[in-house]
Amino acid sequence: MRLSVAAAISHGRVYRRFGLSPRSRLDLLRNLVTALVRYERIETPWARADEMRGYAERLIDYAKRGDKDERAMRMADFWLTEKDLIHKLFKVLAPRFQPHAGSYTRLLQIPNRDGLDRAKMAVIELKGNPLPPLVRPRRDSDRTLLNQLLKGYRQDAQRARGT
Amino acid sequence: VLVLVRSPLPRLRALLQRCWGRLERGLWPGIFGGQSPPWGPALAVQGPALVPQGISDAGAPSLPESVVWMAAPKQRRTIEVNRCRRRNPSKLIEIKRNIDVCPECGNLKQKHVLCGYCYAKVKEETRLIRMEIYKKEGGPFNAPTVETVVLYEGEKPTEKDEGKRIIERARKRPSWFVQD
Repeated sequence: MRLSVAAAISHGRVYRRFGLSPRSRLDLLRNLVTALVRYERIETPWARADEMRGYAERLIDYAKRGDKDERAMRMADFWLTEKDLIHKLFKVLAPRFQPHAGSYTRLLQIPNRDGLDRAKMAVIELKGNPLPPLVRPRRDSDRTLLNQLLKGYRQDAQRARGT
Repeated sequence: VLVLVRSPLPRLRALLQRCWGRLERGLWPGIFGGQSPPWGPALAVQGPALVPQGISDAGAPSLPESVVWMAAPKQRRTIEVNRCRRRNPSKLIEIKRNIDVCPECGNLKQKHVLCGYCYAKVKEETRLIRMEIYKKEGGPFNAPTVETVVLYEGEKPTEKDEGKRIIERARKRPSWFVQD
């Protein structure tokens, strides 16, 4: 029976490899999390944004415990390299996301980078940020068949309620 | 320039005479009367065996048995066969069927990607807002502990924006930035 994993098979591995070493990967993701908490919307390669998303959302879950919690404070201290953001995390982001149960970030793909590498880029932002919205929610036009039928049904119900 | 051509001739003639003499002595040893010993009986051998063996007839010259023979094409591939291989559908570039028109600006966009033009607009506006934020904060590492709201010309903060920091932008509110 196979007792060791052959090289170049990575079935079931969930974490991508970045940087020069596992420590370097964590530092890279830590910089991205700090930037996200500071600027609330950043544009990075898609793989890094996808990897960073989980760490950012877990950090906000820790922050929701409150700043009196020892583990939450240690996590925030490690993950945010700029220490004024710890205050922002506990006083601004935790109350903002208190009603949400999860999914505090939005990840959208943008056109490939203009440089030589044409990398797949993404923009990741915290929901509820004060910046202009990236995607406007589009409602279907009123002239579609389904919407016209629904409008008729609504009018009928109103008339029935009125009389 | 006068070149003397006569003088090498007597030397050349003497050389030729000596060579001719040697040759005659070798071919007809009996004629010159005993200057070379008479030839005895010799081996009668076939013609090709007289020639020494190392020079010609080397089929695989000086190769050891453990040589590796590499693969090489035997025949030239015709242009028809080449065309079949090069133009096989698996080698052609796939056509993309996920390109649509952005409903806001009318530029082309891929279905799962944001429109490049609309994103550039939003990116420019966020850059200007961030410049205003930096001016208000005054320096690095001064992140505020309250929420932020962006107000354009002629707008007053509502009761929803009670405890928030206000960032002013000196222009009319763009139509795509809806305040909600």
